[in-house]
Amino acid sequence: MGVMKRFTTVLAAASLLFAVAACGGDDEAESGPVTLRYSWWGNADRAALMQKAIDLFQTKNPDIKITPSFQEFEAYWQKMATDTAGGNAPDVLQMDFAYLREYADRGVLYDLKKQQGSLGLDDLLEGLKGAGEVDGGQYGVPVGGNTWGYVYSPAAYAKAGVPEPKLGWTWNDYRSAMEKITRSTGGKMYGGGNYIGTYYNLEVQLRQEGKLLYTEDGKLGFDKPRLAKFFTEGKQLADADIVLPVDKGVQIKPKFALELDLIAGELGWDNFMARYAAATKTELKLGPVPSDNPAQLGQYLKPAMLLSVSARSKHPEQSAKLIDFMINDPEVGAIFGANRGLPATNAQRAAVQLEGPLATVAAYEESIKGQLEKAPPAPPKGAGTIEQAFIRISEELQYGRIGVDQAVDQFFTEAAETLES
Amino acid sequence: MATTAPTLPKEATGRPAGPRTRARRPGDELAGYLFLSPWILGILLLTLGPMVTSLYLSFTDYSLFTAPEWVGLDNYRRMFDDARWLKSVQVTAIYVAVAVPVKLAAALAVALLLNNKRKGQGFYRAAFYGPSLIGASVSLAIVWKALFTDDAVVDRALRAVGIHTGGWAGNPDFSLLMLVLLGAWQLGAPMVIFLAGLKQVPVELHEAAHVDGAGRWRRFRSITLPMISPVVFFNLLLETINAFQVFTSAYIVGGPNGSPAGTTLFYTIYLYDRGFSDFRMGYASAMAWMLLLGVGLITLFLFRTARGWVYYSGDKR
Repeated sequence: MGVMKRFTTVLAAASLLFAVAACGGDDEAESGPVTLRYSWWGNADRAALMQKAIDLFQTKNPDIKITPSFQEFEAYWQKMATDTAGGNAPDVLQMDFAYLREYADRGVLYDLKKQQGSLGLDDLLEGLKGAGEVDGGQYGVPVGGNTWGYVYSPAAYAKAGVPEPKLGWTWNDYRSAMEKITRSTGGKMYGGGNYIGTYYNLEVQLRQEGKLLYTEDGKLGFDKPRLAKFFTEGKQLADADIVLPVDKGVQIKPKFALELDLIAGELGWDNFMARYAAATKTELKLGPVPSDNPAQLGQYLKPAMLLSVSARSKHPEQSAKLIDFMINDPEVGAIFGANRGLPATNAQRAAVQLEGPLATVAAYEESIKGQLEKAPPAPPKGAGTIEQAFIRISEELQYGRIGVDQAVDQFFTEAAETLES
Repeated sequence: MATTAPTLPKEATGRPAGPRTRARRPGDELAGYLFLSPWILGILLLTLGPMVTSLYLSFTDYSLFTAPEWVGLDNYRRMFDDARWLKSVQVTAIYVAVAVPVKLAAALAVALLLNNKRKGQGFYRAAFYGPSLIGASVSLAIVWKALFTDDAVVDRALRAVGIHTGGWAGNPDFSLLMLVLLGAWQLGAPMVIFLAGLKQVPVELHEAAHVDGAGRWRRFRSITLPMISPVVFFNLLLETINAFQVFTSAYIVGGPNGSPAGTTLFYTIYLYDRGFSDFRMGYASAMAWMLLLGVGLITLFLFRTARGWVYYSGDKR
């Protein structure tokens, strides 16, 4: 009996140790197909499309197996940060422009220039060439591109008797159009949201003046008086009750005012057109961004998302192959449509069926093609934090909790603290 | 097998054994620890280990990607110059100071009502306990927020009686109150403990006081409250500590920025934001230890004051 008991004890303990050990090891055998871990952010819709593309890739490359994983955007970056810190980053990962430098600078991404044989970048759209480079290294490859635009409801403009926006309209035109629409509906529908809530509106204004949001060496590309001018514009719009009040905007989150027909138009990334169109029955159009400088719209093709390879990946060549497939294969382009933004390569763009909002976006990008400039250098480390600070401070300003001067000071203090650390 | 089998009984009987209790054998202690090992491993790897690590990290500059760099007390010093940290302390302090008394008063009031014998008592108890079961759920916070938006239930009800606040979810003057009410609504746990306490109050005391002509309020003040003061103290401690850790509901309602206008920037939310959005793990760790220190000091303070107002029966005073 006693022996039996002790034997069981040892057995139980041993199995426990095995269980612990099993948690630690996931080494794979050297022979057989190579397994790549591939992570992206997105919802279940994207995951279904992704699986189709992955299946296709595995059929064409029987020696490579893909283990996919995905989360929503915020959770994705939290997981990515902890995984990367633990030396457990996936082989291929979806990258955002705002985080590219953050990761590249810390040496956790693989320089894809070393895999030129497996990865073709020649077919990338002109505006996206060089978009994934940081200090000469190719740390990301764009899979899609989008640009700033003005989404609006032509019916709302007609009802208020305001001519629809066309190339050459100024920021003053934009403000007075919003005012007329708001006044004509008696506040039932607002002319627009307050554009100071989004820092890409500041960027586009700066670029129209020949400046940048972040300079080449990663500093803020504007001074306090310039930001004060921007914030004052929004403060006046809010005080005169021309734009959607901030408390409305806060309450409808995470939805957008355009989805709920609360406003007549909004400046934003043009690929959001598809999202808006899916949510509202109102017909929407894409118009040009207002500019006080007729020669300069300040727009560029932004990499909507990129693909990167982890520096610790044991299979950089196969990883590069996967990226090559994801950006160049026309079938993949057809599978995704504009789910990842309009495709980044000519071959994939040609493969996308353009109809409905997709056709609108494509026509819009075509119409300003000649005006698009080179994308700015990848923003500095901490750009994500700075954008959040901008949104928060702008919100407090619109609530009237702080004044323009205080808002400007607060932003510069926080930005400096983030950039220096 | 054949050779070892006969030696077994000898080995078993060869040990000195008492008549009733089996004597300890050399392997016993080891076996004991092996049986304890799941718990020991858990506490070492999942609780103590991370705590010690976070204490160390709180003295470093650690961005998750690069090795932590020792900076001494820098993180702790920075907090006092950090406007958002001060703001988060303020928001949390106000919340604790308002939410805890409101919740305890509501829980006690409900417990007093449910303590009376009446039909369907079990149903009422379950009904009031119900909201606590869905505790910190995300869906509940989403529904709560929806109730408090423009033109939703609360806004309409208030307008009907002439109060125009708009949706509280977008109104910086009321957003915190909305979360206080959410907390108070989930009064199940303290209510049950109060109920148990009320059952312990001797009926004779009430009867005697009644005979002497004491009214309801007088009996409540002079008999019930002193008799259940240990339970009040217990609930006060528990709820205070809990209130400092509010996270889920606040995150759903206000997001990482504490919308509207930073009025729901709880300490825990700022801590999370610093750690997982800004990758400042050293600073976030220091914040966590400051929170522990703060909650510890307040608990100590509560214990100090308890000597003056908590009465334990059998206590010779």
